[in-house]
Amino acid sequence: MSHREVLVEPGSRVVMLGNVAFARGALEYGVSFASAYPGTPSTEITEALSYASRILGGPYVEWSANEKVALEAAIGAALTGIPALASMKHVGVNVAADPLFSSAYMGVEGALVVVSADDPGMWSSQNEQDNRWYGIHAYIPVIEPAGAQEAKTAIIEAFKLSEKWRHPVILRTTTRVSHTRIIVETGEIDIAKIKRKGTFVKNPEKYTLVPAHARRLREELVEKWEKISKDLSQNHILNHAEGNPDSDTLVVAVGLGYRYAKEILATHGLLDNVRLLKLSAPVPLPKTLLLNEAEGREKIIFIEEGDPVIETLSKALFYDHNIRAKIYGKGTGNLKKTGELELHHVEKLLAKALGLEKTYYNQAIIKPDIKLPPRPPVLCPGCPYRAVFYALRRAVGKARIRPIYNGDIGCYSLGVNPPFQMQDTIVEMGGSIGLANGMAHAQDDKVPIAIIGDSTFFHAGLPGLANAVYNRSPMLVVVLDNRTTAMTGHQPHPGIGVTARGVEGTELSIVDAAKGLGVEYVKVIDAFNIAEGEKEFYEALEYVKKERKPALIVAKGACILLALAAGRRVGVYPVAYRVNDDKCTACGLCYKAFNCPAIYSKDDGKAYINELLCTGCGECAQICPFDAFEPVDEAPPEWLRLMREAKPS
Amino acid sequence: MKSLNIVLSGVGGQGIISLANVIANAVLESGGNVIVAETHGLSQRGGSVIVHVRIGDVEAPLIPPGNGDLMLSLDPIEAARYSVYLKKGSMIFVDNNITPPPLPGINIPSLDEIVESLGKEGFDIIVVPAVDEAKKAGNPLGANIFLLGASYQTSILKEYIKEEAIIDAIRKNLKKPEKNIEVFKRGKKWAEERLTS
Repeated sequence: MSHREVLVEPGSRVVMLGNVAFARGALEYGVSFASAYPGTPSTEITEALSYASRILGGPYVEWSANEKVALEAAIGAALTGIPALASMKHVGVNVAADPLFSSAYMGVEGALVVVSADDPGMWSSQNEQDNRWYGIHAYIPVIEPAGAQEAKTAIIEAFKLSEKWRHPVILRTTTRVSHTRIIVETGEIDIAKIKRKGTFVKNPEKYTLVPAHARRLREELVEKWEKISKDLSQNHILNHAEGNPDSDTLVVAVGLGYRYAKEILATHGLLDNVRLLKLSAPVPLPKTLLLNEAEGREKIIFIEEGDPVIETLSKALFYDHNIRAKIYGKGTGNLKKTGELELHHVEKLLAKALGLEKTYYNQAIIKPDIKLPPRPPVLCPGCPYRAVFYALRRAVGKARIRPIYNGDIGCYSLGVNPPFQMQDTIVEMGGSIGLANGMAHAQDDKVPIAIIGDSTFFHAGLPGLANAVYNRSPMLVVVLDNRTTAMTGHQPHPGIGVTARGVEGTELSIVDAAKGLGVEYVKVIDAFNIAEGEKEFYEALEYVKKERKPALIVAKGACILLALAAGRRVGVYPVAYRVNDDKCTACGLCYKAFNCPAIYSKDDGKAYINELLCTGCGECAQICPFDAFEPVDEAPPEWLRLMREAKPS
Repeated sequence: MKSLNIVLSGVGGQGIISLANVIANAVLESGGNVIVAETHGLSQRGGSVIVHVRIGDVEAPLIPPGNGDLMLSLDPIEAARYSVYLKKGSMIFVDNNITPPPLPGINIPSLDEIVESLGKEGFDIIVVPAVDEAKKAGNPLGANIFLLGASYQTSILKEYIKEEAIIDAIRKNLKKPEKNIEVFKRGKKWAEERLTS
């Protein structure tokens, strides 16, 4: 996705995704360097900057190999005196935590904003994690926009704060800020500014964290933190109080929480009755502002998305200053601690605290009396992973082994569902090879099979693979090379040779990487060829059993959505398959065991293909024992090539 | 406080987010305020999709259950699933084609069963042949816009969005704008013929 609206004329009012508004804000501030690893809900920030960079010739934008590298690159850029941005999802910050903590010790020369896109509700993540804790833990201020409405302003203020204190700043967003479309007013973009280069002035006492330097910097950091705290304690443009100054009730609404508080108070006609404290620069805690506003109130209500971070810090502050108001929030059990904020939950909290009788958002829920089938996300029709799972399962049966499928983060996580159920562990990026390393030595009755994607392989698979070779871990590593980071919307990666700026990069070979790390058994297969896959997986498993060493197979076949998009650009289309009714025996293998979403069963149990969904991959024709699937026409050779080799533009 | 809460639902890949974007841009063109909360990432892979569109005096992104005023849905199963977001008596415009979830051994309710169960709860259900009509118009991916056309005149939508604003939003935000404008008009005409008699 290009997100062209990021570059509309200054002075326009446009509908923009929160993430695109972040990108626009960064451009208006004059960001000169942006790095990221894709991850929901952060990805569109860098996609929009990538588009801007292609059109404007700046800023420098890259998809980095992983979040740690992205942050390190941004720190490096910021040390040359230019404003830099590193964007990632919440769990990406875990990967980048090491340089994050160090960055606070060193400070920056230009400016450094680290976007942490948290995913409460886990729409596309393995955990819920409130990364405001990182700010407190690492001595880094946190800016948290009051909804997508404030996204553009918030990132500009984050850069200004970083520039003012020459210190990194975390911008914490959540799914409903990043993936909410709102109306944005645009300002000027200074192209010279976003294209500028920095210069590095050596200062080893500041930039080399050997103990002698780090001890001194630690003292300085604690002192600096106090100064920043004092600076933000009273006045920051993103924090303000509104409503009745004499009310006995204070509502502290943090980040997106402000939108929920405001709408409910407005609906109940209470905006002028209570005191509402909006905090979008909540870390370090604005102590003076909080104490001034809390003084003399009977009730204090906290509304924040994620953990009760500000509530917890505030309670400690109130204790120290003898403020003994009745507190309502997540910490006191008055608001759900898991998932996203929702109006009806926040209204319930406010109704309890304020004694409201009427509710607007807690309506009777009408549930129709009908049993609905679930609809989890599935592998797309024509996904090369389906063929690989199918071939791998057959090979495992033939090799007479008991497998442990160590899965990973990517579309193949969907292999956890029926009919395959071939993901026994999914932990984090790169965790497939990592866990297999332990299981290979900790038990003998099953063979670990690590299943990892191409982008994930470069992200965090390499160290695990080095470990497997070094420690001779008997395991099969299957690298699913679909030529893109698919789940997040087709970003390129080191194995593609296309960069975020659209200029050519160097295409790294997974095979060469594996061989270079010392894997002795490395093969490449056509992901769409099930017979070949079955044979090669079988032989690799025999090797692992016999040699007690790792073997690696790259299953190469483009993400079908990527291939379809590449085909559309050059006018090449797939040819759909159809079912020959005379041959179909209604065995159900194709729609039960293979489970392609384009294949349905008719009332008589025979298969039929929805031609609108069929991508002409031909996998069904390979698995049908009765040759009942046939192409409507001969597939163009160019399509067969794209299916295997397409890559992001 | 005047607001309109629209629930859009369907299956990942049906164009629900594009539809939300067209509506949001049409609200902007009409001089209103709009907030759209979308589902991205994992849920897009053929999964169940809901998009919250909030128009008018609104601040927060999500529609609470029981508060939606109108639903447009490209799949009857998903219409039933997300009807919990609607107020009693709300209009539901839903396509007549069911996309069966590709899971082995599940029971798929029929369109009639779904319509009946929603009708019993007092919803006003309008079954629209959006996919079929869009196909007939040579624009199989235009079902979302046909549905918008079919719902425009007969629902509360027209109080918040001007027709010219929709045409303009389609022109500025969709590929093949002329084909989609044609589909929008066909949707409107379909509703005029079937629903106003």
